[in-house]
Amino acid sequence: MARDLAIDLGTANTLVYMKGRGIVLNEPSVIALNRQTGEVLATGREAWQMIGRTPGYIVAVRPLRGGAITDFEITERMIRLLLQRVGVSRFTRPKVVICVPSAITEVERRAVTDAARRAGAADANLIEQPMAAAIGADLPIDEPVGNMVIDIGGGTSETAVISLGGIVSLEAVRVGSFDIDAAIQNHVRREHGIAIGERTAEEIKVAIGSADPTQDENQAEVRGRDLMTGLPKTVLLTPEEIRFAIEDVISSIVASVVRCLSKAPPELSQDFLVRGMYLVGGGGLLRGLAERIERETEVPVRMSNVPLEAVVLGAGHVIEHYEALKGMFMGARR
Amino acid sequence: MLIAIIVAIVVVLVLVIVVARVVRGRQDPVDSFRRQIDALSPEARRPTIDQVRDAAEDSGETDADDS
Repeated sequence: MARDLAIDLGTANTLVYMKGRGIVLNEPSVIALNRQTGEVLATGREAWQMIGRTPGYIVAVRPLRGGAITDFEITERMIRLLLQRVGVSRFTRPKVVICVPSAITEVERRAVTDAARRAGAADANLIEQPMAAAIGADLPIDEPVGNMVIDIGGGTSETAVISLGGIVSLEAVRVGSFDIDAAIQNHVRREHGIAIGERTAEEIKVAIGSADPTQDENQAEVRGRDLMTGLPKTVLLTPEEIRFAIEDVISSIVASVVRCLSKAPPELSQDFLVRGMYLVGGGGLLRGLAERIERETEVPVRMSNVPLEAVVLGAGHVIEHYEALKGMFMGARR
Repeated sequence: MLIAIIVAIVVVLVLVIVVARVVRGRQDPVDSFRRQIDALSPEARRPTIDQVRDAAEDSGETDADDS
């Protein structure tokens, strides 16, 4: 008998929760393929290490961008391999709940459920990421009070107000931490004339990136390829210039939070001042982001205890109480 | 005669299944909402969250042992 699964199919990482067991897989959403034969060479962490370091015939790709499937066939293969790794076979077909961005289109929804069914799921249902995040972050969403959750992922940022088990207002933008990495890459290329890979850009973000000035700021030495000479070159980056480089992305995320706040009913708005907003997702770990949102909205921002696992934990709870909570699936509500 | 009995049993079984599905499909919305809210309560969520927390603590201890 197959154990049912909850999958957080993120742009950056994929997490799998198995009913009765907890989180059984947490790996980057990357797959490495042989370009000539189409053969899968690696997935997850192993494939992630190959990004930007492969010979011409190998390509390491992220099949999801902006929270949406960009390559249906590759995504299906990745889901199939993930399910195999957690013990799903042709004879054990589990029910699967998949977390997706709330803003995905009908076509994208169908693509995700079809991919899961073809990959071995007996039944596939979708749940909105902010809703799953609120359940996983242990917010009191069963009560008639305003709970606000901000989920900043690799490709999307979503803000939702939840009360009595349902989404009251929602705002989503297809901007996330990968856009921060891309902004850093562009800045280094434009201002310093060197090319860096996406993994280096991510390292810069983690080392000195911030959304608001912070204490203990350090400079970072970065190595890349000089665009003029083609030779390796080292430059020194400051936190101020990285803040400037990522400002557009940060402004866009903060603006979506403000829009969500302005759409919330006034009775719930007053709850936020007392209870605050909860930040989840890997993007929420950017230094100074909570302070920046707090400064611009004048609402306290709190970090979830489990920012990276909140979404899959929420979906995992749904799979544990499948019958009672199946009304929360996308398309189930009227 | 035997075939007729088997057919009759099958028809009755199919009818029972169809009726059961229709009845289950027509759940009282109030009851269904209440069950959903109960399943979202902190008490209901505790086992899921504790399960993951325990696993994280166990792996932390294992890591510490390894190092």
